[in-house]
Amino acid sequence: MDSTTQFITLAIILLALIAHLILTQASRRRQGRTALRSIAAYETLPLLVGESIEADRPLHLSFGSASLGTDGTLIALSAAELFYQVAQRAATGMTPPIITLSNTSVLPLAQDTLRRAYATRGRIERYQGGAARWYAGGGQTLAFAAALTSMVADEQVTSNILAGSYGAELALILDTTARRNQMSIATSDQLEGQAIAFAMSERPLIGEEIFSAGAYLEGKPNQVATIASLDILRWLVIFMILIPTINVLTEGELFRLIFGGR
Amino acid sequence: MRRLLAILATVIVIAFGWLTVLGLFVGDNLGFLSPLVEAGRIRELTALLLQIVVMTAAVTIVIGVLNLFQVHGGRILRQRRGWPYSLVLLFSAVLVWVLTLLERNGMVFTPAGERTPSTILLETVQVALEAAFASLVLFALVYGAYRLMRRRVTWTGFLFTVVVLVVLIGTLPLPGGGFSLMAQFNTWLMNVPVSAGARGILLGIALATVVTGVRVLIGQDRSYRE
Repeated sequence: MDSTTQFITLAIILLALIAHLILTQASRRRQGRTALRSIAAYETLPLLVGESIEADRPLHLSFGSASLGTDGTLIALSAAELFYQVAQRAATGMTPPIITLSNTSVLPLAQDTLRRAYATRGRIERYQGGAARWYAGGGQTLAFAAALTSMVADEQVTSNILAGSYGAELALILDTTARRNQMSIATSDQLEGQAIAFAMSERPLIGEEIFSAGAYLEGKPNQVATIASLDILRWLVIFMILIPTINVLTEGELFRLIFGGR
Repeated sequence: MRRLLAILATVIVIAFGWLTVLGLFVGDNLGFLSPLVEAGRIRELTALLLQIVVMTAAVTIVIGVLNLFQVHGGRILRQRRGWPYSLVLLFSAVLVWVLTLLERNGMVFTPAGERTPSTILLETVQVALEAAFASLVLFALVYGAYRLMRRRVTWTGFLFTVVVLVVLIGTLPLPGGGFSLMAQFNTWLMNVPVSAGARGILLGIALATVVTGVRVLIGQDRSYRE
């Protein structure tokens, strides 16, 4: 990595860090008065959990092929936060949610997410380690999709929350859930999966919305600060793209105007 | 005790997280950071940590196999719905495991240049089934597009359906001026708006990844704090 790239990378990380720390304090002072735009998936979630509890049937949560220790680490952690929020609400029911995954590195995270959710609710005795299930797939993502199409039928799940790393195989899973009249919330960090989630899921999460789960479902200051930091970085990137573009279109006049010189 | 363990876990994550960031991102030409990283041998430590991560991920495969037997064994014993399939799965898993062990120990003779029995098993069963499922993806996508319009006709759904039709027709290798025009429009569509939209989504995910990573680095992620 050349020194310019190193410098820019570290600068972005530091900027994100400073913005997050400042905005966390600002969010604490606002004491929950921060207005967030509506995201249909997060508004529907409590209804799905309620439906699952009333029907005494499990919810299905899936990491897909997200893994720890690779590019998918942070999507796995963000999905774990979403699943924690869901499991915490579902812990009041008799049937635990089922978490599925195709990469074993996420299995301890999945089991711990469930355990913490039940412990937070004071119902640790209802925690079942077997509710987190590895369906062997790994690089063979279609095998994982095939396993899930069978699982959602056998376990008679009420709804599906598919948040992680999915490719085109997401179409098979969502097709099965649609045929069984099961609501699905889906998102992926891969473009193919994202497109399929938009087309076939009732409540898709688009792009970075999965990373906002904590802010929408719990609303702690540091979680809300994540969204605000993201907005700041986003506007920064927009200006970094627009300003040089305008400069090129005006044949350098913009930079001459700003910085002077001939 | 639990609180103490949570604090210890947070300290470990913060310390080793920042060490890894410095080890991976600081090169030889980055002001005062480079000599600091050199003096502290942080790059060697980072390499060691990454090796530990790889080994830990490998160990989790053992955990996964145990989970597989626990889940499906429990389903067989309690004769829950779909238990025959669990029986087939466990039987297949044991069969492949034993076969691979025998091959590795040289107890299964394979002529030179021939595929091993486990490879034959993989190619005739796994690959064939994956190909069959891959062929179903097209039908699932078409049905999904139909459901999108049937559920509720919105501008985004309508646009999605039109673009799918345009892309599919534009990809057809058919002669004629109309088809040629469609192919050119298809090329422009893929190179300009689709590419721009894809980059926008990827940029958003990348920025969110950075911010989430920063939260992990400052000890605000829940997964090790509780």
